[in-house]
Amino acid sequence: MRKNLISALVLLAMLGTCLMILSCGEKPEDTAALEQLKQENASLQEQIASLQKENDELKKQLDELMKKAEVKELQVGFIYVSPVGDAGWSYAHDQGRLFIDKLDGVTTSYVEAVPEGPDSERVMLNMARKNYDLIFATSFGYMDPMLKVAQKFPNTIFMHCSGFKTAANMGNYFGRMYQARYLSGMVAGAMTKSNTLGYVAAFPIPEVIRGINAFTLGAQAVNPDAQVRVVWTKTWYDPATEKEAAKSLLDVGADVIAQHQDSPGPQEAAQEKGVYSIGYNSDMSAFAPKSHLCAPVWNWGPYYKEVVDAVRNGTFEPKPVWYGMEHGIVDLSPMSDMVPGDVQKAVLAKKEAITSGQMQVFMGPVKDQTGAVRIPDGKIPEDGELLGMDYFVQGVIGTTE
Amino acid sequence: MNTELIVPLLAAAIQSGTPILYATLGEILTEKSGVLNLGVEGMMITGALAAFVTAQATGHPALAFLVAGLFGAAIGAIHAIVCLWFLGNQVVSGLALTIFGLGLADYLGTPLIGQTAPGFNKLAVPLLHYIPGLGPILFQQDILVYGAILMVPLLWLFLEKCRWGLNLRAVGENPEAAAAAGISVLRYRWIGILGGGCLAGFGGAYLSLAYTHLWTNGLSAGRGWIAVALVIFAFWRPGRALLGAYLFGGVMAFQLRLQAVGTHLPSSLLLMLPYLLTVAVLVFSSWKSKQADAPAALGVNMEPND
Amino acid sequence: MFTLSAYKRQEPRPWSSCLIVFAAVVISLAVSALMLKLQGKPALHGIELLFQGALGSRWSIEDCLIKAIPIFLCSLGVAIAFRLQIWNIGAEGQFALGAIGATWAALTFSDQPGYIVLPLMFGTAFLGGGLWGLIPALLKLKMRANEIIVTLMLNYIAILFLDYLVYGRWKDPGSFGFPMTKAFSVSAIVPKIGATDVNWGLVLCLVSGVVMYVFFRFTRMGFELKVAGENLNATRYAGLPYVKLVCVVMIFSGALAGWAGLIEASATINRLQPSIMVGYGYTAIVVAWLARLNPLTIGIASFLLAALRVGVENLQLELQVPAAFGGIMEGMILLTVLAGSFFNEFGFRFRRPS
Repeated sequence: MRKNLISALVLLAMLGTCLMILSCGEKPEDTAALEQLKQENASLQEQIASLQKENDELKKQLDELMKKAEVKELQVGFIYVSPVGDAGWSYAHDQGRLFIDKLDGVTTSYVEAVPEGPDSERVMLNMARKNYDLIFATSFGYMDPMLKVAQKFPNTIFMHCSGFKTAANMGNYFGRMYQARYLSGMVAGAMTKSNTLGYVAAFPIPEVIRGINAFTLGAQAVNPDAQVRVVWTKTWYDPATEKEAAKSLLDVGADVIAQHQDSPGPQEAAQEKGVYSIGYNSDMSAFAPKSHLCAPVWNWGPYYKEVVDAVRNGTFEPKPVWYGMEHGIVDLSPMSDMVPGDVQKAVLAKKEAITSGQMQVFMGPVKDQTGAVRIPDGKIPEDGELLGMDYFVQGVIGTTE
Repeated sequence: MNTELIVPLLAAAIQSGTPILYATLGEILTEKSGVLNLGVEGMMITGALAAFVTAQATGHPALAFLVAGLFGAAIGAIHAIVCLWFLGNQVVSGLALTIFGLGLADYLGTPLIGQTAPGFNKLAVPLLHYIPGLGPILFQQDILVYGAILMVPLLWLFLEKCRWGLNLRAVGENPEAAAAAGISVLRYRWIGILGGGCLAGFGGAYLSLAYTHLWTNGLSAGRGWIAVALVIFAFWRPGRALLGAYLFGGVMAFQLRLQAVGTHLPSSLLLMLPYLLTVAVLVFSSWKSKQADAPAALGVNMEPND
Repeated sequence: MFTLSAYKRQEPRPWSSCLIVFAAVVISLAVSALMLKLQGKPALHGIELLFQGALGSRWSIEDCLIKAIPIFLCSLGVAIAFRLQIWNIGAEGQFALGAIGATWAALTFSDQPGYIVLPLMFGTAFLGGGLWGLIPALLKLKMRANEIIVTLMLNYIAILFLDYLVYGRWKDPGSFGFPMTKAFSVSAIVPKIGATDVNWGLVLCLVSGVVMYVFFRFTRMGFELKVAGENLNATRYAGLPYVKLVCVVMIFSGALAGWAGLIEASATINRLQPSIMVGYGYTAIVVAWLARLNPLTIGIASFLLAALRVGVENLQLELQVPAAFGGIMEGMILLTVLAGSFFNEFGFRFRRPS
């Protein structure tokens, strides 16, 4: 900056000299003085040129330094519970990883198919020992191991997905998938003729239960008679069993099949029977073009970028983050042409309402299967209440055990 | 449950039992020759992948089915080399084969996840499928189901009536005596292992060509292990294998339907049903029957004598 | 012309067996390196990373030991049964029941001091695993039900039973509905040895390994077992108490796997949750046979297998190879070691055809 000032002064000086020359030039009596001024002028011009050169060079250096200070090389690690090729949960997170991998100064790597428990602790320890700056663990069971490792490595930032514990250098994050599930429920409720919706579900954990409840509420919002039947498969990706589970739902009269599974098995079952289906994780229309209506999808990339930026700027805070559709972390994939225009319009309007915060999915009164009021009239439940949801709402047929 | 539910249940029982039936029949053939191959899961999944890749590349499911058999047999050949030539322990070799096969299929199959391939669809047998009840259960299945059913009498005929089959059983019962009678023990054990691998590959192909038309990691999902168990359950008899496979598939389909109808039983307990029933039936039938029919030389390698 | 023929060695040579294992590992590593090369990854560096991850530092060796503990205990358990020619492939289920038993004690007596609650946990884990092992033994003896199928089915049932408990009855109210029990109290956690990360399960391994060696070598019952295992008919003629032997063996076989479950639940996870089941019971069968049912070799084999799995993680992290690559390597190493052992037991000689 100082050099800039000097050059400005020099320029001023030059201007002054020129003015002097002009004012003196009208009466060129003293040729000696004129010569001297000319000489002075030339030497000043030389100085200006060299100073400008110097200035340019310094500017360049400064730019480089600024760039370096801004872009701290960030080493980011990811731990997945299943192979990234599962086309489901881990795949969605890996898409997020690839999104931040493209950023300047970010390198990422991952370890897949890590069992929750001691194996995951070891993988995290290894990453921390290798001076990773930021570690994402994307399964609930990684929570306790991550907490242990986080306490040992205070200089590394740890991010845990779908849990509830935090530490000084450990945050947790999740997405409000239930918002997109609600919208998909509206589509299903509008499309069903038998008023029976089938839901193939993996394990009775709160995330899945919450999704089923939101789906049911969405369906009931457009079709008060809609019922949701649930079958647990106790597997995340066994396409044959999941397809069989969908068929068992079709046999009892379901005419729209939704799923919380990582394989498209249920989609196939729906298409073979000629009824509708709703996917999950990513747009599954390729598997069942004639039956796939829409799918609630994950989109982690923008959030991962946000975390990376926060860590770089030193503004990272270890607080629980639970983003919804307003951040684009969850969304509903484009609806198929089979969904009538007015239904599409209604769904998009609801999406707008949820995104803008005008509407809450779990807004009292919410009754459970026995008819007992779980969320009182007009009350919006706390996040903790939603996170620990372990009951089905009225209209769901099945058990949460 | 009314008939409206029972008919699809039985149809589903046959369908979900079919991949297990193929693999069980294969393992019966292998064990009858005196070789225990615990690598069924590995051969199955390799077959499933091979079938999927072939169907996708050529568009011919029938060709894909045969290729699956070839690849199942090729993985089985590793077991044959290790156990027959190098006299490796059959238990370890089989387990290693499972680890290897699952790893290989996941490794090679990852780029294919999320794609579909042409496969077999349901085929109604003319006239017969109109029979109420029985029609939809038996005569509206895909062709591979009929293939599996046909395999049962064929295997029985082979083992009981065919000269080669009798030799193969002799090798499994008493290899020394068979060798003394001029039967090549190694040749028949090769046949047993390759045949078993081929059938396990068919079982895998059923999963990726007919049951579903897609590929994911771990598509076989433990069905190979069920097949190993069903061989013993069936007392090494093809007919009982059919019964066992359909029963197992049926109970699996039944518990899913029980959930769909609506029940208050926890799903963990419902999922135990097929396994509990297998044990119960085994215990009951072992108690009733006089002998178990296990090949006497099962799992024992034949050492070269000087 | 000469023909090559094999003959059985009278005494397998211990040193050559080390050599063979070494050669087999080298061959498998070479093939793995080639596969890395085909993917365009640095081959030699990959192998180096594998070793670095498994044995390159103090903590990685500790990690291998921690992982080897449950494998060793399960493996020792199935080895006892295999010695009597009881095909117990149910270590997985016995492991689960041991963990369940230990968890019951840990949750019930959580306010008791360690010297009360820990022995109780060992007792209940013994009971859980042992009884789960006794079921197939009794069914085999009384109903002639084949133990392979019963133990295999009991594995599935045990895992589902564990699921049932942690998804239902034993679910921690503070876990936001996730399937896990409450964390064990400090007194119910098997402590770590000194300043290391390795828990006292390692000492349990050493003790049970030595006890098993002494038992088979020096006690009457151990001798009976050995005889019975080698020749079942001889057992019956010699009037050995076959029924009693089978029951005792299966109880101890199951109990050892049960203790492995205890160590995993208490020392490494500090609670019971479904992810405790990662298939150690099946790994144990491979290890037991590979080690020829000998306690010392089981120890070595467990450690090496654990080291391979830990090392592969490092390879994954550094070179981004898929997890399935580890499975391929493991399968290849097992198969080549197995095939290689042929050269240990058999010699070759050239013969002139007569």
